[in-house]
Amino acid sequence: MAVAVEMLNISKFFPGVVANDNVSLSVNEGEILGLIGENGAGKSTMMNMLYGMMEPDLGVIKLFGKEVRIQSPNMAIKLGIGMVHQHFMLMPNLSVLQNIILGKAPTKNGLIDTKAAKEKIQEIMDTYDLPVNLDEKVYQLSVGEKQRVEIIKALYREAKILIMDEPTAVLTPTETDKLLEVLRLLKSKGCAIIFITHKLREVMAITDKIVVMRKGLVTGTLSTSEANTEGLSDMMVGRKVNLNIERNEYQPGENVLEVKDIRALNQRGLPALNGISFQVARGEVVGIAGVEGNGQTELIEVVSGMLKPTSGQVIFKEKDVTAQNVRQRRESGMSHIPEDRLKMGSATNCTIRDNLILNRYYQKAYCRNGILNNKKLHDLSENLCKDFDVKTPDSDYKLGTLSGGNMQKVIFAREMEADPDLLIAAQPTRGVDIGAIESIHHKIIEVRDSGRGVLLVSAELDEILSLSDRILVMYEGEIMAEFKRGEADERTIAVYMTGAKRQGGDNDEK
Amino acid sequence: MKNKENNRILSAAGIVGKQVGLIIIALILATIFLAASGYEPLAIVNGILEGLTVDVAGTIRWATPLVLAGLAICVTYKAEVFNLGVDGQLYMGAAAATAVAVNLPKDMNHLVSLLIVFLAAMAAGALFAMIPALMKVYLDTNEVVSTLLLNFIAALYVEYLVTGPLRDPEAGTNLNASAVLGENTWLPRISFFEPSSANVGFYIAIVVMIILTFVFFRTSFGHEIKIVGSNPVLAKYAGMKPKKTILQVMAMSGAIAGIIGAVEVTAVQHRLLAGFNPDFGFDGIVVSLLANNNPIGVLFSGIFFGALKNGGINMERITDVPSAVTDIVTAIIFITISAKFVIPKLRRKGTEKTPVRQGGK
Repeated sequence: MAVAVEMLNISKFFPGVVANDNVSLSVNEGEILGLIGENGAGKSTMMNMLYGMMEPDLGVIKLFGKEVRIQSPNMAIKLGIGMVHQHFMLMPNLSVLQNIILGKAPTKNGLIDTKAAKEKIQEIMDTYDLPVNLDEKVYQLSVGEKQRVEIIKALYREAKILIMDEPTAVLTPTETDKLLEVLRLLKSKGCAIIFITHKLREVMAITDKIVVMRKGLVTGTLSTSEANTEGLSDMMVGRKVNLNIERNEYQPGENVLEVKDIRALNQRGLPALNGISFQVARGEVVGIAGVEGNGQTELIEVVSGMLKPTSGQVIFKEKDVTAQNVRQRRESGMSHIPEDRLKMGSATNCTIRDNLILNRYYQKAYCRNGILNNKKLHDLSENLCKDFDVKTPDSDYKLGTLSGGNMQKVIFAREMEADPDLLIAAQPTRGVDIGAIESIHHKIIEVRDSGRGVLLVSAELDEILSLSDRILVMYEGEIMAEFKRGEADERTIAVYMTGAKRQGGDNDEK
Repeated sequence: MKNKENNRILSAAGIVGKQVGLIIIALILATIFLAASGYEPLAIVNGILEGLTVDVAGTIRWATPLVLAGLAICVTYKAEVFNLGVDGQLYMGAAAATAVAVNLPKDMNHLVSLLIVFLAAMAAGALFAMIPALMKVYLDTNEVVSTLLLNFIAALYVEYLVTGPLRDPEAGTNLNASAVLGENTWLPRISFFEPSSANVGFYIAIVVMIILTFVFFRTSFGHEIKIVGSNPVLAKYAGMKPKKTILQVMAMSGAIAGIIGAVEVTAVQHRLLAGFNPDFGFDGIVVSLLANNNPIGVLFSGIFFGALKNGGINMERITDVPSAVTDIVTAIIFITISAKFVIPKLRRKGTEKTPVRQGGK
């Protein structure tokens, strides 16, 4: 098959940073290339250059053997390149049809020829098995459907080269499977696909060859048949990755947190928690598994003090803290890594320091009569950046300049610096790369081993299984089952997660 | 380290440069407008230059309320709250100042009586600002609408006062105003600038500016304002009380607005006049925006708008160019600033996925 894309010896410099250093990659027609690497490795920069959002400082881009200069996304589209962004570029209030034909509508007598458009789209949908209701408004669609619309949009513009930027990050496992099927179909029709991800399992499942990037360099180009996940993650991180973390023997101490028959309403005023009870002891990680939206968010908010329960008790270190506010709980030793680090955990347009000092800025050691001791706060934040390996020249930079993994490190640093007795960690590794996952997992186990309690909530079953000493499965605001470490595998837990089964029959609390 | 300092100075200079650029664009557009309407094209530029050189007194007179209004706006803006009610709050401040001043004994110590008058004005402004603030915090009412509508209530209330309870019984039939205040409640004018009404209020504005700068950058309260302004959910999660912070900044803003009212009454008019306020509050929005909501910047942009206003008035006196032209300049500056907010956003959209990450050094 002919070569579709060649990017040869590409370099791109940003002030103070080499984003890409002499990077080369190529994709043939009917081939899927996996482009993997940690956040900030330079994958997106490469794709932005291919999609015309910026031009390389050095190097050549060839399409179908012909050298091209791609100066704008418009030009890229004309040249047959389509990109499905991680954050969809759709107009929520327009219909699917309007979104697809936007800017490239077939016309008849100066009017949009809806019929011709529909025919053309129908043909695409049939060929590639991408069913969507064209008349529905985009905001009514599920995430998976929106992604399908994006793919159709690219195909409607006759894309022969498709860039998929972390397409599975937002999908459920079933949606992911469906997407992979579509990609296989596209491949069989001769489409060249560049698939960006950090999920190695998918890379192994679907790609033909793999380019691994790290710190702007290519650290490996290999065909998928020769690759294995361990080797790939080593190449990505630049050292041996160890997700099997050694831990001390399980010896739970006294309870640090006790939740008794909590009931609470969600934002819409509907019951979200229907009588939840459990304990977290010192020296253990309690993992809460469950499909998102089954009350985990509310549970964390109740425990951390952000949401008042309608009934029930939260007992922290043998004291009833149900009536205490967030600050009181934090001061008595509760830390909380929030599930949404952008919406809740940080202020991206403030400096890294502003974000790091949130637990400290008002305390006597750092603030006298309301006047901040900027020197001490500066030292505190610089030390935290060093200790937690936040990659930044100094903490006066805006938090928003950091990558997702580094942002999470900042939040982790802030919460750990408070020396908590209980760490609530909600989706602690969402959207961060393997290197960061490894270090966060290590830190969580460190917290446990040092005799503190961890309440872990995660949508990733892998994470729950590898870290937890006890696993609670939540469904519709209730705990369906409880397992000890090693008692249950992914499949067993999944059954309880969907509410298909309940331990010990109805109303029987374990 | 030195390098970092240099960078900081450079970026600060860049920001100032951009704002000056905006002013120049606005002035060019206004000049074109003047030329097209058949007026003297350079009238507005000359007016401003004169305000900054020959007639500094007039500029200071107008800069005082404008700087204060800019400060009142920037306090709330830092917390992402929009107080469009500075006009109403300053009317209430003026009313309170007058009501207290006319009732103070005429032989009371000058400083003490001024202090009482100003405290009354600040309290009135702050209390009046509490109405929309409480509505926002507890009823989730949009403060943009509520503060705006309360302006009318305040303006009409002052009108009622000067035609009724506070009206000077000896005033002529055409004049709706309170009695002239006792001299012991007059805020001194700056003797250097006599006979202009440039007054000590300008020093008050500078003091307020210094206090705010300190509060914003050096206090824990300033840190709370910043966090509440950039992410209220984070503030709540970190154990702050965003509602309390919002009430506090609104009270501060209202109190500063109250000072404007008191200054206008005790130093400029020496009595309460209906409709004495030429929309200082709205001009304050532009003053604050041009200064990037930085209190130190507000001082300079307030002086600029003071010169503009003063230049416009002088211009009208000397030439036939109406002083309303200055409003056009203000409007153009407002539009160019808004464009400044939009353009980088558009540009960012194009390169949003650019990972300009900070690599470790």
